[in-house]
Amino acid sequence: MLKKLGKQIKRICLVSWQDTYVFFCISGSAIIICLLLQRIGKSDIHISAIFTLAVMLVSRMTNGYLYGGLATVLGVFAVNYAFTYPYYSFNFSLSGYPVSFITMFSVSLITCTMTSNIKMQEQMRMEVEREKIKATLLRAISHDLRTPLTAIIGATSTVLENKDELSDEKQRELLEEVVEESRWLIQMVENLLSITKINSEEMKIHKQEEVVEEVLSDAIHKFRVRYPKVKLVVNLPEEILIVPMDAMLIVQVLNNLLENAVIHAINYTKIEISVKEKGESVEFIVADDGNGIYPELLPHIFDEKYLNRTQHQRSDGTKSMGIGLSVCWSIIRAHGGEISASNRPEGGAEFKFTLPMGEETK
Amino acid sequence: MAIKNKILIVEDEASIANFVSTILTVNDYDVMIAARGKEAYSIITSQCPDLVILDLGLPDMEGIELIKATREWSQIPIVVVSARSRERDKVEALDLGADDYITKPFGTSELLARIRMALRHAVSRGGNSQVIQTGIFKTGDLTIDYDKWQVFVRGENVHLTQNEFKIVSLLGLHAGKVLTYDYILQELWGPAAKGDNKILRVNMANIRRKLEKNPAEPEYIFTEVGVGYRMAE
Repeated sequence: MLKKLGKQIKRICLVSWQDTYVFFCISGSAIIICLLLQRIGKSDIHISAIFTLAVMLVSRMTNGYLYGGLATVLGVFAVNYAFTYPYYSFNFSLSGYPVSFITMFSVSLITCTMTSNIKMQEQMRMEVEREKIKATLLRAISHDLRTPLTAIIGATSTVLENKDELSDEKQRELLEEVVEESRWLIQMVENLLSITKINSEEMKIHKQEEVVEEVLSDAIHKFRVRYPKVKLVVNLPEEILIVPMDAMLIVQVLNNLLENAVIHAINYTKIEISVKEKGESVEFIVADDGNGIYPELLPHIFDEKYLNRTQHQRSDGTKSMGIGLSVCWSIIRAHGGEISASNRPEGGAEFKFTLPMGEETK
Repeated sequence: MAIKNKILIVEDEASIANFVSTILTVNDYDVMIAARGKEAYSIITSQCPDLVILDLGLPDMEGIELIKATREWSQIPIVVVSARSRERDKVEALDLGADDYITKPFGTSELLARIRMALRHAVSRGGNSQVIQTGIFKTGDLTIDYDKWQVFVRGENVHLTQNEFKIVSLLGLHAGKVLTYDYILQELWGPAAKGDNKILRVNMANIRRKLEKNPAEPEYIFTEVGVGYRMAE
């Protein structure tokens, strides 16, 4: 209860440097303008109007009710003290004084409320949008998770219930399938983990200087364990490249791209990884010599919203990469780099990404 | 009958403890299981297991605390099991005296290999006994001659700088074990060097160019990303 009240008060009395600055600028300008007007002419009529305008502007441009209220108080006292007869003294018995006070106060209150409402509505709209993306993602993920889980339960219960009827070979085959499906699930979970690592705290990541070949060798090692038969060619530059990055996330990107090649490339003979220095950044290329990517998929290939695109690729029985590529996109963008996909003129798909070498923080 | 090695599994997830204990039993180890840190500590003090497999995320205490408490009086090998979301914990665990780590999810062959290695190292604590006795370390086509300060790859003498040789020889002495950046820095440059591992990384990149055929797929010195380096056994 007390906490709630505290929160309410906090919401009303938001204090920030920026708002304080706005408050002083606007109130200051109002006072200066009034002083100038006072010098020029003798009319007091504009004074109230100018302060009312100042109160409204402050209320509109700041958060919460605090600064609007302050501007009202300042306005009322300034008008009373400096700008109405008798000048430079307070006179609370002045006729019409309560009227000007109430007017300014109402203007401030109404504007502040309107401003807060608009801001709240904007925030709500953004939240709704985010919820929508989240829901799409969740739907796609649950769908992608259900398939391997069904296969795992199916295979294991088949073995459990028909132990005597099934040949050893058949049992082995089923269990191997379970291992394969579980591996895929793990990959999926690792991707989800990477997403949570980035999306929290506004895409902030923990960068550290890493030697490129060390990160690369980790990804290659993992890949070799999983796909010992795939031919992999690695082209590394002679010089030592040191790039600030979150190594685990970049390993994840490389893994996703390599795996994507294995799963989706058709008729490929080898996968090639190249690294080279390119201006202020380092460029990584993962390419295969298969049939390439469907041209109509290229523009949306990293897009979460097009997760279901994989349907027609899946018709050949292979698994979708699920969220893999959009995870790559998020990771590279969080590093301040670029990622792109294209078809090579000599055939096959090519994924490129860059990582800036500088210390710039994003 | 050979004496079986006693292994304590400290793991609060029953299903994982169950499958690990099954593999270990099949592979001729005696297995004890503890689901809590306190229970684990009392087993370590009373039963003296030969090795502890420790999950860092325990319900009643941090696994790190258990390592600290154990290391105060015992050098019993500890293999840490960590989840990917707790990367920093495993470095801390290694620096506190854990012998090795394995990341969830892990395969059975990987687990058994780590256990075998940790048990072997327990016998020759403080360094590879082969190196200490003969002054020579050999793995594949790589030979380190500790007396003559020379390294040979595929029969050829490799010219390493003094620092490079120190790094290679340190890794060779503890071959198979992952040495953290901080540990290597401290051994080479003293406690003041802790923290900034860039010199080490650059040195290592140069070593790799001299020893390995393909630096992206090393045969001898492996990188454990974010943790440190490991020499092949």
